[in-house]
Amino acid sequence: MAPTDCLPMKNGIMEQRLRREAKALLEQGKVSCVIGFEAGSLKFTTTPLITGDKDDTQRLVISPFMANNLSVFLTGVKGRVAIVAKGCDSRSIVSLIQDNKVVREDVVIIGVPCSGVIDLTKVEGLVGKDRDEIADITRDGDKVLITVNGDKRECPVQEVLFDNCLACEMPTPQEYDILLGEPTAAAGDKEKAKSREKINSLETMKPDERWAFWRNEFSRCIRCYACRNVCPACFCERCFVEETEPPWVLPIPRWQDSLMFQVVRNLHVAGRCTDCGECERACPVGIPLRSLAREMYDIVGELFSYRAGMDKEAPPLLACYEPTDVEDFIR
Amino acid sequence: MTAKKIARRDIADLLNEWSREFGVFVPSRDEGVAKWARWGGGDAGFLEWYRNTVVPPKALFFPPLEEMFSFQKDGDGYHVGQPPPTEDRWLVFGIRPCDARALAVLALTFKDGYQDPYYLARRKNGVLVGLGCTRPYESCFCTSLGISPTDAANVDLMLTDIGDDFLVEAVTDKGKELLSKTSLVQAATGADEARAEEARDAAGARVTRKVDSQGAHEKLRAGFEDKDFWERVSAKCISCGICTFLCPTCYCFDISDELVKKQGARFRSWDSCAFPLYTKMPVENPRREKWRRLRQKVCHKYEFYPDSFDVIACTGCGRCIRLCPVNWDITRVLSSLPAQEQLRLER
Amino acid sequence: MALSDISHRPKFLKEGNVYLPHPAVIEKIVSETIDTKTFHFNFKDEKLREEFTFQSGQFCLLSVLGIGEATFCISSSPTRRDHLECSIKEVGRLTRALHRLGVGAEIGFRGPYGNSFPLDFLKGKNLVFVGGGIGLAPLRSLIWNVIDNRQEYGRIDIIYGARTPADLCFTYDLEAWQQDKTVNMVTTVDRGDEAWKGRVGLVPVVLEEVVPSPDNSVAIVCGPPIMIRFTFPALEKLGFSPEQMLTTLEKRMKCGIGKCGRCNIGNIYVCRDGPVFSYAEISSFISSEY
Repeated sequence: MAPTDCLPMKNGIMEQRLRREAKALLEQGKVSCVIGFEAGSLKFTTTPLITGDKDDTQRLVISPFMANNLSVFLTGVKGRVAIVAKGCDSRSIVSLIQDNKVVREDVVIIGVPCSGVIDLTKVEGLVGKDRDEIADITRDGDKVLITVNGDKRECPVQEVLFDNCLACEMPTPQEYDILLGEPTAAAGDKEKAKSREKINSLETMKPDERWAFWRNEFSRCIRCYACRNVCPACFCERCFVEETEPPWVLPIPRWQDSLMFQVVRNLHVAGRCTDCGECERACPVGIPLRSLAREMYDIVGELFSYRAGMDKEAPPLLACYEPTDVEDFIR
Repeated sequence: MTAKKIARRDIADLLNEWSREFGVFVPSRDEGVAKWARWGGGDAGFLEWYRNTVVPPKALFFPPLEEMFSFQKDGDGYHVGQPPPTEDRWLVFGIRPCDARALAVLALTFKDGYQDPYYLARRKNGVLVGLGCTRPYESCFCTSLGISPTDAANVDLMLTDIGDDFLVEAVTDKGKELLSKTSLVQAATGADEARAEEARDAAGARVTRKVDSQGAHEKLRAGFEDKDFWERVSAKCISCGICTFLCPTCYCFDISDELVKKQGARFRSWDSCAFPLYTKMPVENPRREKWRRLRQKVCHKYEFYPDSFDVIACTGCGRCIRLCPVNWDITRVLSSLPAQEQLRLER
Repeated sequence: MALSDISHRPKFLKEGNVYLPHPAVIEKIVSETIDTKTFHFNFKDEKLREEFTFQSGQFCLLSVLGIGEATFCISSSPTRRDHLECSIKEVGRLTRALHRLGVGAEIGFRGPYGNSFPLDFLKGKNLVFVGGGIGLAPLRSLIWNVIDNRQEYGRIDIIYGARTPADLCFTYDLEAWQQDKTVNMVTTVDRGDEAWKGRVGLVPVVLEEVVPSPDNSVAIVCGPPIMIRFTFPALEKLGFSPEQMLTTLEKRMKCGIGKCGRCNIGNIYVCRDGPVFSYAEISSFISSEY
């Protein structure tokens, strides 16, 4: 999956180019704002940088930890913006264009050929240490070097990438204005299989087991709505949970209501979700939300032969119909 | 009073003893997520991994969801039931100084003026056993708020980790009573107390994140109208409720009713000033813009609450920094508040 | 250290679970406008009916159990105690549920909460009431309170307006005040209709035509935010100082007792420290928060 040349160096070259391009775009007045990543305030973390100041572009980074899907900020900024996008992010942008939430001419997509984002929870599990007690995590080609208390440990990168990265179908944006480097390869079948392990185990459960599983998971839900707010596909100004007439779902963290919220949310974003994995990463109480999101993604693929964000000219899947559409699944 | 100590290996027995008299809550892990759960016996394995929980112990006193009362519809009228009973006597084992202090900060609101029966009943029936930190997070900044990771304050009993043992100090009369009833504690030696001092210093030194919390008040008040500043710092916020829900001093709540056929109940649940619809009224929404909401959140913690109660509504636990999906960092925001040249406005 | 002192509050407010609503029964419903109704109600409990007291400006929380609870000012006067009145505009789920109730239906009542119009400060002064739309509801409690103790106050001017004649609330009160020779009643509408023979003009503009004197006067202003925003400067132009201007702040509320945080602005809770404020007290945040 990964190119064999050293990733930190490759990232370094892309970073220099990114800073140059972003600064030029602002200086030339081609965009009023740049949305990218800068170093975070915690170890192994990046944080979104949203700025109209050309000097701030020096802080832009390309990092193996840049997990956020920045397209979520597109519906909140005015004017023309430049945005850093990995493959999955660019698909979200295309999906927003399909929904007429973003005008293509108003975004300058700075594409990043992605080699996967490192999941710190997996690294923690591997070395049995919390992230702030790990000295260093460096990616070196298809290996990751983790340093704890002076001891270096090496592991294949597949063990520590996010599950959705393992299943990635488009690591390099196909819709872009600037591409920062050489395209990277999509996931192989072995990785795709690994990414579905959690979902497969759910599918093999009997209905009561699965119900008990989700009941336990959603009993931790505190209805923070981070899953919804990080999702670029959730762009409704007023979410259905905020409706009072009728009150579709009560705003209370009862596991039944929380489960209902998530199920309906997945239905609403079906055909828009690009499996960026942000919902699960954002959840502070570790609910495996991506299992629901990816399952929906695969159902959409099976039923409609459709994958979100591949074609900006295509009508949004569930918002349109043709007289020739199949109807036999509606009873 | 003379300090006592208890062997690490005896903690499980102590918890079992206490379980006979109290509902005991300890840190536990559910799918890898640290939270508070009822002690069910076994070994005190949490002592090996516990640093702090994701959801703070405020959730035990002010739960994310609480039934206020139930009711039954009867023709044109209703029968209103009593609120569901809370735990008679219960004990929280392992609360960190930041979280213990936060409960004291919360209490100021719940007992000010009209008494909040739900919170105060739980608090009254609750015993707090504090556990000093040994491994603060990189996101911790309690020392900037006038507390240390091993403060023996706002708890009934305080434990300090000294390796094979824990130093045990009674802080309140409740704590003294608890200590007197167990045979698992012995007298601590001078060496034990010295080790505890070392442990306290070491923990304090590991808190590297710092912020000028006292200076924030002035700058926030003077810069209240600085729209540019607040727009800049709030740009990456996604208006979810993580920071406020996981904050041990946040207390905003919503009240909702449910009625199914003739049975119903009124609930209160956590709410957040960060949510866009929080202040919405039929006519207008004073905080429709994100920057106003973030300004309210920061000012409430570091300016308004101190104005009312002489205490900052933040204890430096760092959960908001650690768990924010966009790594919004209040210490960075406070550090970047513009210094104000002009004199403080006289009120 | 701002601790709220509730020691002066009546006993029935300090006992028991402060969140439990008291049952009250609707006795009469008056249609004010197309979307506003005034509900007359009384407590089911005899003892509470006798013990209950409140002051002008205070608010209550009315529940339709199963739907929810919301804040309303008590629009009847404490001097007229055979029943309580709240005027309710239909704007959402709870108010719609209230509007669907009939006489005899049971609602829940919590209160009275908040501060009240400072009668001691108002006694002996000339009072200028400025109201817009349903903003007359809190004023009305105070107006009747003052009229029922007429000799304790100076001149009374009431300037009230609504968008159209159909939006005028409490028309029966407006008539009574028009008839009252000790009161100067000025009614206006933003837009008249064919039948309207009275004044036409926005309230802040009419205010400048009436030219109330600021000498020994207090202005009490209640209405939609936009009206308030223009009325304060108009009063200032006429010579009123910020301490001479009172208003009631409207903010989304839930608990009513200074706990849930919703109505927090600066270091005050509108439900605990208000809703009655002088312009002097709120000018520092009214521009940024309103």
